[in-house]
Amino acid sequence: MQQQPFSNEPLSISDLPKFETVPLQPLQKKYFKVIAFNILVFTIFLFSGISIAYTMFIEEFTVMTGVVVVGFPLVVIVIILFFARLGFRKKGYAFRTHDAIYKSGIIVESTTIIPFNRVQHVALHQGFISRKLGLATIELFTAGGSTSDLQIPGLLLADAQKIKELIAKKINPAATENVVSIEEENKPQSEANDA
Amino acid sequence: MPNSSNFSEPQRQSLIGVVVLFANTIQKTIRAFWPLVLIWMVRIESMNKLVLFGGTFVVLVLLALFSYLQYYYFTFHIDEETEEFVIQKGVFNKTRITIQLHKIQQVNINQSLIQKLVNVHKLEIDTAGSDKKEASISAISHELALALKERLIALSKTSNETAVDEISEIEEKQTFIAINLISLLKIGITSNYVRSFALILLFFSTILENIQKVVGDEVLDENQVTNYLDSLPIITSIVLVFGIFFTLILTVNLVRTVIKYFNFTIQKSRNSISLHYGLLATKNILLNPNKVQKVTVSQNFFQKKLDVTSVKVYQASSGEQELKAKDQIEIPGCSVAERDKILALLYQNLPVKGKKFKPNWRKLAVNLFFFLLFPIAITFFLNWSFQWIEWDLWMIYSLIFIVFAGILVWFSFKNYRLFVSNTFIIKQNGAWDIDTSIIEPYKIQAIETHQFFWQKVTNIGSVSLSTAGGTISFTTANFDEIKQLVNYWLYQVEISEKNWM
Repeated sequence: MQQQPFSNEPLSISDLPKFETVPLQPLQKKYFKVIAFNILVFTIFLFSGISIAYTMFIEEFTVMTGVVVVGFPLVVIVIILFFARLGFRKKGYAFRTHDAIYKSGIIVESTTIIPFNRVQHVALHQGFISRKLGLATIELFTAGGSTSDLQIPGLLLADAQKIKELIAKKINPAATENVVSIEEENKPQSEANDA
Repeated sequence: MPNSSNFSEPQRQSLIGVVVLFANTIQKTIRAFWPLVLIWMVRIESMNKLVLFGGTFVVLVLLALFSYLQYYYFTFHIDEETEEFVIQKGVFNKTRITIQLHKIQQVNINQSLIQKLVNVHKLEIDTAGSDKKEASISAISHELALALKERLIALSKTSNETAVDEISEIEEKQTFIAINLISLLKIGITSNYVRSFALILLFFSTILENIQKVVGDEVLDENQVTNYLDSLPIITSIVLVFGIFFTLILTVNLVRTVIKYFNFTIQKSRNSISLHYGLLATKNILLNPNKVQKVTVSQNFFQKKLDVTSVKVYQASSGEQELKAKDQIEIPGCSVAERDKILALLYQNLPVKGKKFKPNWRKLAVNLFFFLLFPIAITFFLNWSFQWIEWDLWMIYSLIFIVFAGILVWFSFKNYRLFVSNTFIIKQNGAWDIDTSIIEPYKIQAIETHQFFWQKVTNIGSVSLSTAGGTISFTTANFDEIKQLVNYWLYQVEISEKNWM
């Protein structure tokens, strides 16, 4: 690899753009319906399991155990719902000229930043409910392994497509439509400068 | 087979290679049934010799036949029309592996012990991308392997630039570093205690369990051992048990290190680096400095005194997602001078430690809580409710533990540092083995910051930097400083024109 002398003019680090002050966009309000639906599915599974258990051990059920068996899961679900709501409000994203930022978490607040010139490819996902609501999830893949891939849920499909195209253009200005080809074309380049 | 060296017709491996296949099959069979084999060996007295040897013989003959069939049905050739390398194999399940020639990245020729004995080689083909299938030919003569390698590379050359390097690599090589036996011995006696201990423990517990299952307590009576130890003074028995384990660990370490890394040489040609090592099985690995993402140098107190370190080089994974073992290369037992030579080779100039960042004192407090107070509290409550040991004894054990864990926690805090310069990010950590991980800012793939909600008040947070060869994280430090660093690293990545691989 050619060693470029790293020109380093006096650069005040405090003048650099700050990722922490970028105003973040909230996720689409509709997206909470998707979260709620997932919790609902979980609840249904949980209670069908409980009712199967009930039919099997019907003699051993007292009022007390009944209250515990139904009440405890209910409390858990209410807590899950509460935290989901809280977490939903905390989630936010931003796209800058050179990177994508995504912030989330209640107990641990984490911010992930992926520079566009490290994105390998972009994918759009749509679940069943998301499709009905016109929402989509965008996923940025990097070479840093699955831990460093970034998923931003709850975007309007039109927006997500726009963002995807924008990033695709940034990754590889030549190919704008076919994102799949980007993944393949990026690789040979990387070995091109051995001299 | 001189007529077969254009590889366009399907051809078999070397006939003598049946031996290798046979050995592999036996190895697999033993690995699958080794507890059974062990039981036979223990009960060999009481078994019918005729059945035993007859049975073994029949099994061996069947395995030999199977190996011959494996040999017979294994063919390989280059299909020039479709530009593919084709392997066909399988006795019962037929498999056809095709590899597009332009996807071939590396062709490696290796030799294991058995392959050495019958003078054949193993040829492995490494492809680009996430192809799960692996292509290897396990018994091929050296000339044929070289010819095939050259042919594959020549054919893939047109579309693949890495292949050009491979050709030049054949031309001339000069030995760059050779690690001598003394250094290996030094590394052997100073590292991997825990790993070897776990190995020994696992080994013995499996054997014991299997023996006891079959013969009951007749052969090895645990009580006998405990009784014997009880009859000795307590200090002697502790020293005895400790001494036995320590000698075992040292022996295992020494033997493992020497067998694995014997005759470790690093060779350098014009634009590639290759490593060769191994006593019984020789390994041959190609190292591409451009692919290097992270380098970890580790050294403990003893190793510092003996002037040895080990260097681990993490290359970008050729697979899509997970890190593969072959992308991590360990160079054991190099001196500080050799380490610097390797680093200079990988990075053109020697990594310098830049501005120093320390963790907050709360990191020490948290670690003391989890590794010192918490275990003591648990043993206290357990002993309180179950009365296992006398309280005096509990005090003594706790004191020993406090001193031991305290020292470890203190040193791991003291060694926990991050150094940031324009061109390198260096993280140092560890209590006994001190690891120094080096990455270059422009090779960062993603940055993540974390903060627990209660850390907001004290302005503490963590950061992790992902590269294609692993992650570096720095926790419980001044969050303002971290944010400033993140902005600086993002700037470095985003203006970088250099290829990260």
